[in-house]
Amino acid sequence: MSSERINEIVILSGKGGTGKTSLAAAFSVLAGTEAVIADCDVDAANMHLLLKPDFARSMEFYSGELAVINQDICIRCGKCADVCRFNAIPFMENQYTISPLDCEGCGYCEKVCPSFAIVMKERKSGKVYTSTIKTEGIMVHARLDIAAENSGKLVAKVKKDAKDHANAGNKKFIIVDGSPGIGCPVVSSLSGANYVVLVTEPTMSGLHDLIRVYEVIKRFRIKAGCIINKADVNEAQSREIKEFLMSEQIDHLADIPYDSAFSSAMIEGKTVVEIQSPLKAQLEEIWKQIKLITNKNNTI
Amino acid sequence: MKIAFTAAGTTWDSMIDPRFGRTEFFIVYNDETQETTVFDNSAVKNEAHGAGTATAQKIFEIKPDVLITGNGPGENAATALKQLDMKIFVNAHNMTIKEAYDNYKNGKLQPL
Repeated sequence: MSSERINEIVILSGKGGTGKTSLAAAFSVLAGTEAVIADCDVDAANMHLLLKPDFARSMEFYSGELAVINQDICIRCGKCADVCRFNAIPFMENQYTISPLDCEGCGYCEKVCPSFAIVMKERKSGKVYTSTIKTEGIMVHARLDIAAENSGKLVAKVKKDAKDHANAGNKKFIIVDGSPGIGCPVVSSLSGANYVVLVTEPTMSGLHDLIRVYEVIKRFRIKAGCIINKADVNEAQSREIKEFLMSEQIDHLADIPYDSAFSSAMIEGKTVVEIQSPLKAQLEEIWKQIKLITNKNNTI
Repeated sequence: MKIAFTAAGTTWDSMIDPRFGRTEFFIVYNDETQETTVFDNSAVKNEAHGAGTATAQKIFEIKPDVLITGNGPGENAATALKQLDMKIFVNAHNMTIKEAYDNYKNGKLQPL
């Protein structure tokens, strides 16, 4: 089976703002057509700004539920509004209506409605896209509707589509841009992964969130490597991070110095490896190293 | 003894699904009766959150003596599964169900 040879590499940070997506996009450009890209950081998806997908194919995505009141049967008793913890059922123009932005889909109103006027309906929460990006490679990504949130379900869907494309196109890698934090979407992005690239920065919260996300990774027994971005900004903190990496046997992939090239590239809508900068050679080196490690892991 | 595998397909040649919560299927082999049963777990796709605990619930219904999987259950599912008298073996990803079973028999799988 070809699926066993695909290396699924997940890029995570724990803390936001460490440069995770900037690096994930740079690796995506370096990987070119040998990888399928999966943008699972759907709450604030921004990888598309750098990779220029064509949004060629889209599919509606349903997640969670939304209460709907049948006004013809409703007896206006107000029991639903009384139990709603989210104040999502205001009484307006002589009728109770669901405010879709406030409804969490818990279903309590449906349970208490004496006239069975409320039903829970599947909620459309956004679209999943399969695109060709500027490298001619394939990227699977999503766009959420207003007030919709990322979920383990959406991440699993994006990853599955990416895997199908990787299988069909005989690709060697899937690069997954994971979401920040340690919640459901992160757990979902980790399941089935072969290697995790952690991106951190030398700040107290950078290290704190790195430790926290690593607890989750360890639980799933996935090998991990770490890039310390902006490493020269606080050398003492960087040293502390390195001690942590050593104690947990996490590969220390690289220290990247603070460089405004990231911002200059971003302003042009490019990744840092597409402009003149010494970072290009360093990132090429890191990507080569990641490929080497994951290929080795996968043959054991 | 009942042995459950998280599986990406429904046969002995199917690959182990490395995921616990969102595994596509469970293949359950009873080595006394040599019976193989397949449980479809694909309904879990509709769980936006809490896939791990929903699947753990399913395990409570199947009640296997041994569970063989890949990455292993996450924190919440693992806590729930502790209530069962069941041994869990992990790191069986990249194996077919048959390979995983042989490795289990030869004591080559890693216990959780």
